[in-house]
Amino acid sequence: MRQLNFVSTLTLVIGMIVCAGARPVSAADDYAYDLVHSSVSFKARHLDISWIHGRFNEVEGKFSIDREEPSKSTFELTIKTDSVDTANEARDEHLRQPDYFDTKQFPTIQFTSTKTKAIDGGYEVTGDFTMHGTTKQITLVLMGGKEHDFKGTKRVAFSTELSLKRSDYGFDPKAIGPIGDAALIMIDCEGVRK
Amino acid sequence: MPEPLLYLKATGAAAIASAVIVLAMVGIRRPASGAWINSACVVGSGLGLALGYYLLSLRLAWPPANGLDRFAMIVVPAILAVELIAGVPCVPCWVAWLLRLSLATLVPRILLHGSVYISRSDDGWSPWETIAILAVSSVLLAGLWSLLTWLSVRSPGASIPLTLGMAVQCAGVTVMLAGYIKGGAAAFPLAATIVVTTLVAGPRMKSTAPPSNHSLPALIGIGVFSLFCLLFIGRYFGRLSTGCMVVILLAPLLCWVTELPVLRDRKPWIVGAIRLTLVAIPLVVVLLLAKREFDLKFSPLLGSTSAPMSRICEGG
Repeated sequence: MRQLNFVSTLTLVIGMIVCAGARPVSAADDYAYDLVHSSVSFKARHLDISWIHGRFNEVEGKFSIDREEPSKSTFELTIKTDSVDTANEARDEHLRQPDYFDTKQFPTIQFTSTKTKAIDGGYEVTGDFTMHGTTKQITLVLMGGKEHDFKGTKRVAFSTELSLKRSDYGFDPKAIGPIGDAALIMIDCEGVRK
Repeated sequence: MPEPLLYLKATGAAAIASAVIVLAMVGIRRPASGAWINSACVVGSGLGLALGYYLLSLRLAWPPANGLDRFAMIVVPAILAVELIAGVPCVPCWVAWLLRLSLATLVPRILLHGSVYISRSDDGWSPWETIAILAVSSVLLAGLWSLLTWLSVRSPGASIPLTLGMAVQCAGVTVMLAGYIKGGAAAFPLAATIVVTTLVAGPRMKSTAPPSNHSLPALIGIGVFSLFCLLFIGRYFGRLSTGCMVVILLAPLLCWVTELPVLRDRKPWIVGAIRLTLVAIPLVVVLLLAKREFDLKFSPLLGSTSAPMSRICEGG
């Protein structure tokens, strides 16, 4: 009887260990943002006659793509505002100050998906976009998503454009001045399969 | 974008409102005691500042989102409340100083709340750095406040709050020249309320007794806190250099030079003039250096070797 109890307990313990160690079956592939082959750039109107271009040099992100159930796919992107680069150090310094990005108070711009839908040629991704301390729900149309095997490393890429008004995100309208309120953000990102 | 006319309007309105309120409050109770005049200074400064900030359209947010919001929405009301309480005759002196020192301890942490410095991120400070910087800042603030209040008791006069008003104005322009326009603009109504309230309340203080009450501790408190906060925000959220911050912050301490035996017994107006001149010297030097730095930094952007301030945003 004692032996039977011992065997039962051992079976239960082994069973629990096996269950805890098991991973759920998932068709999702996880990718890490490849900074070398990606870019997040922007442009804004200057005096309503031309465009000022810039980019963010430090970006992190990850995405998980479930080819069988696209609605389970997720996308995350974090942009470091301190890395703003408009090819002019003085202007970049000014953009980092509280009149614009206020990078010491709001060090990142973030996007986290909440809903994903497959569309022809890509995905329609809805999520929370946080900039300058204000979060708004936006929908991005990500074009791409085809996997490519390059020297044994699987890669996938997406492109999207996003138009937003800086005044919607708490930027001071007085600081907007000759720079247009509307800004166009272009995201071209490549992910490396983990 | 800098708007000189708007700054002028806000500064003028803040000054007039402060003066009218102080005169009205002093007129209500005659003869006014020193404590009552101090309270009038607090109310006048507070309402003048509120009007000035309203006209500046600073777009302050609640809950406060950044350092300037926290300064205007939390620190300014707190210092006004502390000085109002401290001015009540039945409040013991140690209670007033306990409140003041508590506020001095809290203010740097309040201003940095939610910022990258204390968020434990990769760019943030380590716990020891945080403790050290907050402690040094609080000691600086409390030290400046105590020394100026002590001086105002030893040698009363309007010159001390006036030098604080000058320093606040200098801090605003320097912060602006370092690129933080909104932060600098916030100093204009502040300087105006401090200077005008001092000029209106100072002569009325002379008719009160005893002589040790002729100082204006409330205005010194408001001035010291405003100066510290503007410089702190300019340093940690803008691009104001530590050197500029320290020089402007400590410049009012030059008023102590008039305590030298050779100057101490001079006529009050001579002592006042010496104090204002001594404090003005480092402030002018800092302003000139800030202007030079502004021209050097932004001239490539503006395409000229010397460009007016108003053009900075055309490029950025």
